[in-house]
Amino acid sequence: MTLTKEQYRALAAVVGGEHLSDDPVDLDAWAWRSGQAAMAQDFKPRFEAIVMPACTEEVQALVRLCNKFGLKFKASSTGWGSYCDPGGPGCIMLDLRRMDRILEINEENMYAVVEPYVIHAQLQAELMKRGLCCNVNGAGGNTSALPLAAHEGIGHMSASCGIGERNLLACEWVTPAGEVVRLGSLGSLGEWFCGDGPGPSLRGVMRGNVVPLGGLGVYTKAAVKVYHWPGPPSVELKGCSPHYAPVKLPPHFLLRYLSWPAEEGREAGIRRLGESEICFGVMGFNANMMAANVATNNEEELRLTEEYSKQIVGPGVCLVIAGNSARDFEYKRRVLELIVQETGATSLKAVEEGEVHDAFVWRFIRVTASIRETMRATGVFGGEVFGTDSYLVQSNFIQHSRKDKAELVARGLVYPDNTDPFITSLEQGQLTHSEVLLRWTPDPEVAQAAAEYVAKANRNAVEGHYGLPHHLWGDPQHDFFGPHTCNYTHWLRKIKKAYDPNGVAESTHHITAAE
Amino acid sequence: MVTAEQLRQVVGEENVSDDPAVLAAYASDQSFVSRLSPHYVVRIPSCDAVPELVRLARETRTSLVPVSSGAPHFHGDTVPSAGDAIIVDLSGLKTIDLVDPKERVASAVGAGVTFGELMTAVAEHGLRLNLPLRPRATKSVVGSLLSREPVIMPHYHWDICDPAGSMEVVFGTGDLFRTGAAAGPGTLAEQRAAGGRQKEAAGPSAMSLHRLLQGGQGTMGIVTWASVRCELIPTLEQPCFVASDDLAKLLQAAHWLVRLRLGNELFLMDRVYFAALVAEEGETFLQLAKEAPSWLLFFNLGAYRYLPELRIEGQSADARELLQGLGLEAKPSLAGVSAWEFLEQVRSPSPEPYWKLRLCGGCQDVFFLTTYKKLQGLIDVMRAAVEAAGFSLSRLGIYLQPIVQGTSCHVEFSLFYDRADARESATVRELAIRVIGPLLAGGAFFSRPFGEAARLIMNRDAATVEALKKFKAIVDPDGILNPGKLCF
Amino acid sequence: MALADYRSDMESCCRCSACKFIPLEKVTGYARANVCPSISRFEFHSYSGGGRMGFGLGLIHGRVEYTPKTAEVIYNCHLCGACDVSCKYAMEFDVLEPLYAMREECAKHGQSVPVWDGLVAGLAKGAPLVLEPETAEDDWFADLPVADAAERGAAACPSAVLYHAGCLARCTRAAGRTAAAAVTLLARAGLKVAVDKQAESCCGGRAYEMGYRAQALARARENVARFAELGIMELVTGCAHCYQYFKVLYPKLGVEHGLKVFHITEYLWTLVEQGRLSPTRPVKLRVTYHDPCHLGRLSEPWIPWQGVQRMRHMRVYDPPRVLRRGTYGVYEPPRRLLESIPGVRLVEMARSKEYAWCCGAGGGVRETNPEFAAFTAAERLAEAQDTGAEAVVTACPHCVRNLMEPGGLVSAGASAESRIRVYDLVELLGESMSGGA
Ligand SMILES: Cc1cc2nc3c(=O)[nH]c(=O)nc-3n(C[C@H](O)[C@H](O)[C@H](O)COP(=O)(O)OP(=O)(O)OC[C@H]3O[C@@H](n4cnc5c(N)ncnc54)[C@H](O)[C@@H]3O)c2cc1C
Repeated sequence: MTLTKEQYRALAAVVGGEHLSDDPVDLDAWAWRSGQAAMAQDFKPRFEAIVMPACTEEVQALVRLCNKFGLKFKASSTGWGSYCDPGGPGCIMLDLRRMDRILEINEENMYAVVEPYVIHAQLQAELMKRGLCCNVNGAGGNTSALPLAAHEGIGHMSASCGIGERNLLACEWVTPAGEVVRLGSLGSLGEWFCGDGPGPSLRGVMRGNVVPLGGLGVYTKAAVKVYHWPGPPSVELKGCSPHYAPVKLPPHFLLRYLSWPAEEGREAGIRRLGESEICFGVMGFNANMMAANVATNNEEELRLTEEYSKQIVGPGVCLVIAGNSARDFEYKRRVLELIVQETGATSLKAVEEGEVHDAFVWRFIRVTASIRETMRATGVFGGEVFGTDSYLVQSNFIQHSRKDKAELVARGLVYPDNTDPFITSLEQGQLTHSEVLLRWTPDPEVAQAAAEYVAKANRNAVEGHYGLPHHLWGDPQHDFFGPHTCNYTHWLRKIKKAYDPNGVAESTHHITAAE
Repeated sequence: MVTAEQLRQVVGEENVSDDPAVLAAYASDQSFVSRLSPHYVVRIPSCDAVPELVRLARETRTSLVPVSSGAPHFHGDTVPSAGDAIIVDLSGLKTIDLVDPKERVASAVGAGVTFGELMTAVAEHGLRLNLPLRPRATKSVVGSLLSREPVIMPHYHWDICDPAGSMEVVFGTGDLFRTGAAAGPGTLAEQRAAGGRQKEAAGPSAMSLHRLLQGGQGTMGIVTWASVRCELIPTLEQPCFVASDDLAKLLQAAHWLVRLRLGNELFLMDRVYFAALVAEEGETFLQLAKEAPSWLLFFNLGAYRYLPELRIEGQSADARELLQGLGLEAKPSLAGVSAWEFLEQVRSPSPEPYWKLRLCGGCQDVFFLTTYKKLQGLIDVMRAAVEAAGFSLSRLGIYLQPIVQGTSCHVEFSLFYDRADARESATVRELAIRVIGPLLAGGAFFSRPFGEAARLIMNRDAATVEALKKFKAIVDPDGILNPGKLCF
Repeated sequence: MALADYRSDMESCCRCSACKFIPLEKVTGYARANVCPSISRFEFHSYSGGGRMGFGLGLIHGRVEYTPKTAEVIYNCHLCGACDVSCKYAMEFDVLEPLYAMREECAKHGQSVPVWDGLVAGLAKGAPLVLEPETAEDDWFADLPVADAAERGAAACPSAVLYHAGCLARCTRAAGRTAAAAVTLLARAGLKVAVDKQAESCCGGRAYEMGYRAQALARARENVARFAELGIMELVTGCAHCYQYFKVLYPKLGVEHGLKVFHITEYLWTLVEQGRLSPTRPVKLRVTYHDPCHLGRLSEPWIPWQGVQRMRHMRVYDPPRVLRRGTYGVYEPPRRLLESIPGVRLVEMARSKEYAWCCGAGGGVRETNPEFAAFTAAERLAEAQDTGAEAVVTACPHCVRNLMEPGGLVSAGASAESRIRVYDLVELLGESMSGGA
């Protein structure tokens, strides 16, 4: 299918001809697959057109045209995720790149209001100037700061700066039917401080612990909770890319990588870190991710992985402590020492001090090395992204998948990164999230094995009653889980149908209304 | 119409009542909503009965009004708005499935469990609740969560839905559903065996239906249990008052204390509210309401397992410096009330009679959310309205609760009035409605609109109402759940 | 290498958008976070490094054809290399090299740019790649007592240093004056540099960038032959483009010359450091420095490599592959030189060194799409103005020209950004030197 002249003209009338293209060159730029969970298929289906609205009114007009013409649409912010791709023909892309303003930073009530194409790096830098900071999605500073774009919104600072679903305040939503809904205080007052009510909160329709991946309309603006930043307004860096390091680390910051001989040790450690509320950031990195973060190229990554692996005694976690004052820092540092002693943790010496330490702190807080950690090795990253609940269930869950991964490694089907599964603490240990990361070169054999791996992990999630993984994309996966999970698919579909009566919000990665 | 016999078959003989005295208790409450008697009161003996009850109601087009807490009710949400309604009394659902100190959660807490009951249960495991200020003894924890009541520890109030975890709900379709991690896979027992604790509220997948149950006043589903996020009991605490006549300064202090996470319990109130809270009898109330400083900020530092003294020492020094910078000072007592005593009061349920009713017999609250910037203006609006109505300012209490880690502030104007005095009641009733418009204009966001004001408030946002109606049609296609509330 | 040879590199693109921004660690706020002029101007993903990898693979797979629209996207790029640096902060593949290859393919497929066809036609004869020259080619040295490399021959030129002025110096008054100043400064330091007065020809680099590889290669060979004939050992140039082409492109094209190649700022800084030049006259000016792409991030030596991936999944190679990441560009000499001028105060722009925003002249855009060249320049001038500087100083005649007359468009020149003055560093140094060595 290609757009008819009438369709093209109508879309152009909304955004202007220069912001619309159906030329193959523009379409194929997006059709090349994302590196996220890439399978053997190099190219994804092409969009019929790329449309670049500049404001909510344009988005709304485009969505209405889609309803009129029976065209599907899919919005994207920075467009990294593979879930930005259409599943088949008949879909236009709403590339929200032109909607890139920070609308407000409210220092007193600690929130920021952004459009979809403000990236975390920008927001974090602006916030720091004001003594504030935000939870940067673990994917990196390069991703949208809109708390409705990141799939989960879990990041390095989630221990102290919350997570996507829970950091969302008021927002603006263009429903698939083309209505503009302004949630909470925005709808009643034009203010951004609250996203709930009057009455029940539509936040629960718009997203869950994951977002609907484009399948439920377009989020055009949103307020996100921000937090206190205990560092200076800016940090001067020395060196040239890719070798940056702070000239001087802000006072009262410290990073450690702790590992334990067994999962029980890590569990005790992470729990105590949470209970004592001492961490600014916690990330369940493993030896390879630590090495990848520090290394500026793959050769170095290999070398450092080997070096670090020798010092890392088992499952581990990377953490940053930041003090609001010298006293606060001193207290936290001493508590950390106690926890290290009590739980028998080993600290990775290589990142304990000097430039490596300082630079790591900065990369950690700005989440700039995620691409190194995930994509650089092979250009592709995937795996099993589990859910969020108790530490125990997350930990139990990944133990199975770790074995399955080892089998893939033994068969040479994924990059042998010699690593432990990833587990991380949210909101000072109130919640836990876990993942098993795989990297590969997507040839057909590998793709099949990766798909089988995920299928097996999913079966395991059902049979072991571990919970619903976050990465469930599309009808087949949802339908696999639905019957075991309170038939949530029934309600998700009802929502889909109610807000998208014509099924125009492209739902390959969400769910379609068809029961 | 449903018959008593049909109901008895579902919930058992002893759990259905049409005794006029019982019905009368639900026909009105402390608010000014119109009196309407339910047809039956049905006590729910166990969660299993609810789906069948709802199916029966659906078949017979009978309205259901879910109620979890005991009287007195205040907002009119449990008074039927439609004739022939059935009160679904969940207050008998008293189970607490599991308390896990490691995961800091009480899993599957029955809708009828009160704060007192749950606090006792979790305390045995070293846990405590982030609870609303001095809730009434009969208040159900789940009921409180469902109306998104503000809680007194903004530090741990990450999200407005806190401290709610997963929930079990029976929709108006009769379908049972569990939100959040509790959705599955597996039964609760199977999930627990795998390590699951039904703690995550969000999900499953791309919906978080607890958010629609909260604030729904029973219109979206009947919640039978909810998990509750708990906090650790501190090993060391240091409560204190900061008093001032300058609210702006106190707000600044509150902002910084919350921002720097200095303090667990933290809120502000004016002297009238303070007096009402602490005074045992009228005399003291009048004295305190006159003599205490105009405003107070209360905060309580807490420390846990590791180096508690060091933590309290450091935090109190940090807090002191912060307050000094604003020309303020923290004190261990205020107007003869020690901060310790006050702390224990605010974080435990009120003895009977409920403190808000103790002094004058009646209390009408007007509450909303706003930003710090708009606060003073809104207080001025309220005071002007109170004066214009001829009501006494000395019986207007003001409570300011920073919520969601300081992103907004719950403002509660409590009008303590004599319920027995018809004229005064009429004045308060009119005042509470009349002031809504000016407050809205001044930046008040009524995120939890109740009773008579609800429609006025909901009408401000037609798009939200339309969107809510779409969801309502999914979960309650026949409109049997508490019809007449909000916009439904 | 042909475009298809970069397939594996291009396939490494994970679509993370890092190429659109300055290295993420360096983002200091909302403003000036973009690094790629092309996507900043044209918005579509296809105009970014990542988007180009995407449709580039489409080209390789025959899914996308070489149409005028394809060419339009391919040529609306300054080839400034900023995307390449930002990508390689985290990733491990070449972004820029495939872009050169795409242009070659474009030309091969009959989608070259007509205005450049015309220019390149004269290249075989060494004609300058400059539209509408303002001056005769020998004007710039007409009044200078500078040796002619040809007349004297290598033996007579003891330093065997050739000053290569570049096309712009030979064709435009402003660049000519700068070249003259450069030679004068060198002479002051007692250096006997020579100029190939009759036969200096275009280095050919810009033709390469426009996709005319064969013509560029032929030109390079002829130039190298000429240098050999003249007995040149060292080559100094004030043009950042020429510098990069002699230093990097020629080896990349396989044209080895054995010359030491210097940019004038490197040379002058050495002279200042050695005390052979002492800027003494104060030039009271608050300046900011614009890094020419070709002098900065693009100037690292060419690293020839051919190898195979040695692990099935990990992109590591045998022999190991070292990528050029812009880390070791010429960033310090111009800055040190500026700081050596009494009275000059240097303030940095938000985007500098390896992630400097392009001036807009690169990639032949000034000739193919002056409006885009003007857009890019306007952004840079605004950024310069943000620093509070009175002047933006740079070290390349192409940058000077495009910042002075953005895109060569009268309307652009008249806009707000023209409030800031633009200098070549050599001019400033010259000013500081006038009146004594
Ligand atoms: C390497 C890698 C690491 C990751 N790590 C993490 C992690 O640690 N934590 C985490 O939470 N996530 C992680 N993710 C997933 C991540 O959330 C997204 O890939 C990332 O946020 C994508 O960038 P973006 O935010 O700009 O959204 P996009 O990629 O543009 O969009 C993501 C999805 O949301 C939809 N969408 C985007 N914007 C809108 C909008 N305005 N309105 C409606 N729909 C929209 C899109 O259709 C798409 O389905 C990771 C992904 C990758 C590739």
